Amino acid sequence: MTRKSCDVVIIGAGHNGLTLGAYLARSGLDVMVLERRHEEGGGLCTEEVTLPGFLHNIHANYHTFVGMAPPVTDLDVRGHGIEYVRPEVQMASVFDDETALCIYEDIDRTVDAMAEFSADDAATFKRLYDEAHGFVDLLLGTLMYQPPLSVKELTKALSTFGVDKRSEFLSVKLRRETINQFLDQHFTNPKIKAHLAFHGAVCSYTNDVMGLAIGFPLLVGKINNWHLCIGGSHRLAHALWRDLAQHGGVMISDAEVDRILVDGNRAVGVRLSDGTEIEARKLVASTVSAEQTFLEFMDESIVGAELTHKVRTEVKHKDWSLFSVHLAMAALPQYKAAAFNPDVDRAWVVNLGVDSTAKFDADWKTIRAGGLADPHPNAAVNSLYDPTDAPEGFYTGLLRQFAPYALADGGEGTWDGIGRAYGHRCIEAWRRYAPNITDDALVDWDVFTPYDIARKLPNMVKGDWMMGEISLANMLDQRPLPELGQYRTPIDGLYMAGSTQHPHGFITFGPGYNALQVIADDLNIDKWWAQV
Amino acid sequence: MVTRTYDAVVIGAGHNGLCLAAYLQRAGLSTAIIERRHEEGGGVNTEEPVMSGYRHNMHAQFMEFFDVMPMIQDFGLEDVGLRTVVPEAQAGITFADGRPPIILHRPDLLDRTHASIARYSRADADMFVEVKKRAAMFEQILAVGLYNPPGATAQVAGGSLEMRMQVLETAFGDLGITGHFVLKTPKMVIDELFETPELRALMYRVSVEWGLPLDTAVTGSDFLTFLMWTTANWKLVMGGTHSLAKAMTQACYREGVDLIENAHVDRIIVEDGRAVGVMARGTEYRANKLVASNADVHQTLIGLVGEEHLSPLWAKRAKDYRFGPSHVLATPMFCLYDAPEYKSAKWDPEINRTFYTAVGYDGPDDMARYIRDAYSGLLPKPAGGLWVNSLWDKSQAPPGRHSATGWYFFPVASELSPEEWTEVREDFNERFIDVWADFAPNMTRDNIIAHKLYTPDQMERKNLMREGDFSHGEFVPDQQGANRPFPEASNYLTEIDSLYLCGSSTYPGGGVHAACGYNAYKKIAEDFGLPSPIAPGRSY
Amino acid sequence: MPDIYTGDWYEAVKDAINAAVEGMTDTPEGAWTICVEIVGDGASPYTPDSGMRRFLIRIEQGRCLWYRELEADPDKKLDYRFTGDASVFDGIAAGLDDPIEVVLHGAIKVRGDMRFLLRQAELVNVLLGAYTSGVDTTWPQGRPPYGAVETAAS
Repeated sequence: MTRKSCDVVIIGAGHNGLTLGAYLARSGLDVMVLERRHEEGGGLCTEEVTLPGFLHNIHANYHTFVGMAPPVTDLDVRGHGIEYVRPEVQMASVFDDETALCIYEDIDRTVDAMAEFSADDAATFKRLYDEAHGFVDLLLGTLMYQPPLSVKELTKALSTFGVDKRSEFLSVKLRRETINQFLDQHFTNPKIKAHLAFHGAVCSYTNDVMGLAIGFPLLVGKINNWHLCIGGSHRLAHALWRDLAQHGGVMISDAEVDRILVDGNRAVGVRLSDGTEIEARKLVASTVSAEQTFLEFMDESIVGAELTHKVRTEVKHKDWSLFSVHLAMAALPQYKAAAFNPDVDRAWVVNLGVDSTAKFDADWKTIRAGGLADPHPNAAVNSLYDPTDAPEGFYTGLLRQFAPYALADGGEGTWDGIGRAYGHRCIEAWRRYAPNITDDALVDWDVFTPYDIARKLPNMVKGDWMMGEISLANMLDQRPLPELGQYRTPIDGLYMAGSTQHPHGFITFGPGYNALQVIADDLNIDKWWAQV
Repeated sequence: MVTRTYDAVVIGAGHNGLCLAAYLQRAGLSTAIIERRHEEGGGVNTEEPVMSGYRHNMHAQFMEFFDVMPMIQDFGLEDVGLRTVVPEAQAGITFADGRPPIILHRPDLLDRTHASIARYSRADADMFVEVKKRAAMFEQILAVGLYNPPGATAQVAGGSLEMRMQVLETAFGDLGITGHFVLKTPKMVIDELFETPELRALMYRVSVEWGLPLDTAVTGSDFLTFLMWTTANWKLVMGGTHSLAKAMTQACYREGVDLIENAHVDRIIVEDGRAVGVMARGTEYRANKLVASNADVHQTLIGLVGEEHLSPLWAKRAKDYRFGPSHVLATPMFCLYDAPEYKSAKWDPEINRTFYTAVGYDGPDDMARYIRDAYSGLLPKPAGGLWVNSLWDKSQAPPGRHSATGWYFFPVASELSPEEWTEVREDFNERFIDVWADFAPNMTRDNIIAHKLYTPDQMERKNLMREGDFSHGEFVPDQQGANRPFPEASNYLTEIDSLYLCGSSTYPGGGVHAACGYNAYKKIAEDFGLPSPIAPGRSY
Repeated sequence: MPDIYTGDWYEAVKDAINAAVEGMTDTPEGAWTICVEIVGDGASPYTPDSGMRRFLIRIEQGRCLWYRELEADPDKKLDYRFTGDASVFDGIAAGLDDPIEVVLHGAIKVRGDMRFLLRQAELVNVLLGAYTSGVDTTWPQGRPPYGAVETAAS
């Protein structure tokens, strides 16, 4: 590599790094995005891990912020070739009694489907959706895509505005409740509650965690906004990279950052593991983990003893991860529950056999103790809506099971020995609800364990695919630590711009976009993107 | 139906398609590349198909043309991330009985190459080094030949028989290599130049790997010039060969090329004998000026244009074009704790740090049988050439671990049934590991974390390389030079107006040189009055 | 008793706001330019059915400095933009609808830095109070929900 100097060095070419880079490149800065892996995209990772022609999304599969995230339009990702499909049957749960609950893109059909289980709950859901949908735009579009307020400030504002009195569901007291409590207050049917809890969990809002009820109405407000990226999630990485490159920035893959170079108290560049030093004239932004940034890339003498200690001991990670089975299939699943509701066979993602929140609660308990839950994974078949992700006549499938990173028996290393067997069990679980998924229907399959997540993407510390626990204590300006909560760091010219930051992981574009606002303020960059 | 209009539409984002598109866009033509896969690069791909963090080059392994490849210079690929290393010890052969290895070093370390061969034969060492030095002097001449359409200039490989004889006579005559060596097969040349069986065995394999089948007559000058120039002059692309595709793609993005992925071209639209666009996934991509295809000649003409638009001669030529058995390879991939430590290392520890190592052979007869087996449709015995790229590039494996990738010579995809290929995938590596441990005792099952074999039938599916032929067509004289893919189509333009070929079934053929794309641009530039791509100070 | 959306009405609103803010101790430093977009919806007689009325408002230190009606999208850099149907805005001005509820339910879209509005919730409440009940508005073409016509004399 011959380029050794630029205005902006961004560490990590995940979607946040590329997003920040593209905006800054469009603002006229000379940007280099450095990526450790041989592929850009981070969690936007699509690989043919089973057989040629089967495109498996290794991490991000669900794009739920399309239409809300400003970068999608500001960076013209559709112009760069991105095609999003919003599946007509977004998701479903199938239950042991061979019934199924479907969530449709069309919310009225969703309400009708729910009414099969409980008319009251269906009506409640409709009111919740309508109310939440009203402020989704307001809260997501403004709170999520701005540097964060504190929970305190938010609570105070909501009280001053008298939101409790004006809203049936949104309330400041939700910050002291679990999603389970919220569901118990408003809903009666255990299956409906289980499905809504599932939806939260897939978004990392674990149903038994105190305080997460605060985010739940928002989740419901976009429950039918799940989008599939045609050709695999990695396509989005290409689109963002392309935008960066078309505006003069460069992404360098296989550029593993080893050090952040600091002069005085100012970040002035980085050194790569091959010894190359790259000067950053204006700033360095890290989109990788706090641990990498403050413990690996800099010495304690620079970071300071207190912050070093805090990063080492106080950065909170998720207490569960994901175990995936990637399948190359010769048949689409035909659920027994299709007799009850035939649309379940066209549901993009199907949650298998969780008919009460208590079942989830028991699983979380097992998982947090490092055990393997009796699998009832969720099954996504992207090929239902993406004709390009498998050879003709074949289909690509994904089973996801909530699982611990470190197993009580032997730690994370144990996964290498037991992954295949657990994958088998997940497939068997699927088969109970979709008996046609026989061995003959599976051309090939491969597992991707929580340990694999950390090995492939070390920024996802301990397989933490949200890059930080989702909890009240790790939200908004507290994420990942109070002193890092506003994207700035104690080192001048060094910013945090990845999913360690508000809002969180997932394909939100939020951390990169919000870091951009802070950087623009600090560098006096005209916010051409701010459409007021 | 959606219609999108460009000046030029390129089918396929293999490295030749990327190269052509970048030059076209820079010349002012709005250009789209329509790629079937979700990733660019075609055979220039690196993946993690076995385990997270262990990378493997699935097709192209080593790079021998970077010093002369115009696109690297013209588009500043090193500025956008292309980095290489040139391992000191380049090509080696090792033995189960612990005999000394033979190690060919890179061109600036020929004394070490000499010492290695001299362990067996001083005469061979002298001859090898001398031929290698003289071949290196051909670099610029060969580059001029590569990066021009065939017949456009005086070419060593593509030139007339008389000319080639004269070149050999002049360059090597005093070594006893007279003009008639042109007529020989590579095996004959190797056998006549070198007496050492171990060196012969290594050179057989290197020759075949490079694209010169052992027993093809009239390829003697190719061996002595091209092969001897490029042998052990190999670069390792840091991060994996796919980094080249990344850099090329980034160059395309920066120029403004529209790269459309996950779009399998169904057909080339021909109106009044002229190619005017392509259909892919229900979208019509109109081309105001031209369509160029990185796909092979058979797929382009028979599959995408359709016989109804072809003259009987062109249809027949396209169908008669042959794929394999040259350059049909399977890629075994191993995730390792430790890199292999060979018995032969007791003579020369460099063999444990050699870029490319042939493992599983005892001598030339053994090697020749292996090659001939594969060529005749049989599964050869377990043996292969291996790269442990993590020795130089830490990004290839997790800390302290290693990734190894190899090539087995295999029969063409259609020789085995799908079930047989599945069986091969299940047990061939296991058989190879047994052999490997004979050569490198630490290669026990305990040292191998996981492995996978990627077979020719899969390559056919992944990259539409017919028969698993890496090079888009057999490398033999009637399909080489001005005969590639066939004489009437050798100048990149097909008989369909404004339809060009730019893939490896055109001159100069397979290999990561991007010359097919570059030369296709030259032809297109001539036809459309576009700027010459020849940068100041470069003669081609 | 000014007619809705007339110059007099806005002057009255301005005065009402400034009077209300007068009593506040910690009004924020700074200046804000706000655009209010009232979109004709067929129900309100005060905004053309398929048209839009735009008002630009300038707030400094919590006080309303000036306002003006615009012909086109302002070329000025805005801090906030409020957009909603005419009948929704009318309903708020008439004190019928609760502006917070209206915004919560998405009937008026707010663009701009929400953090500031949330941090200054009290000021926002005061401004809204002045807007909704600080002026005795007349409705020449009917008061929402657009019943009997009121005249200046009535």
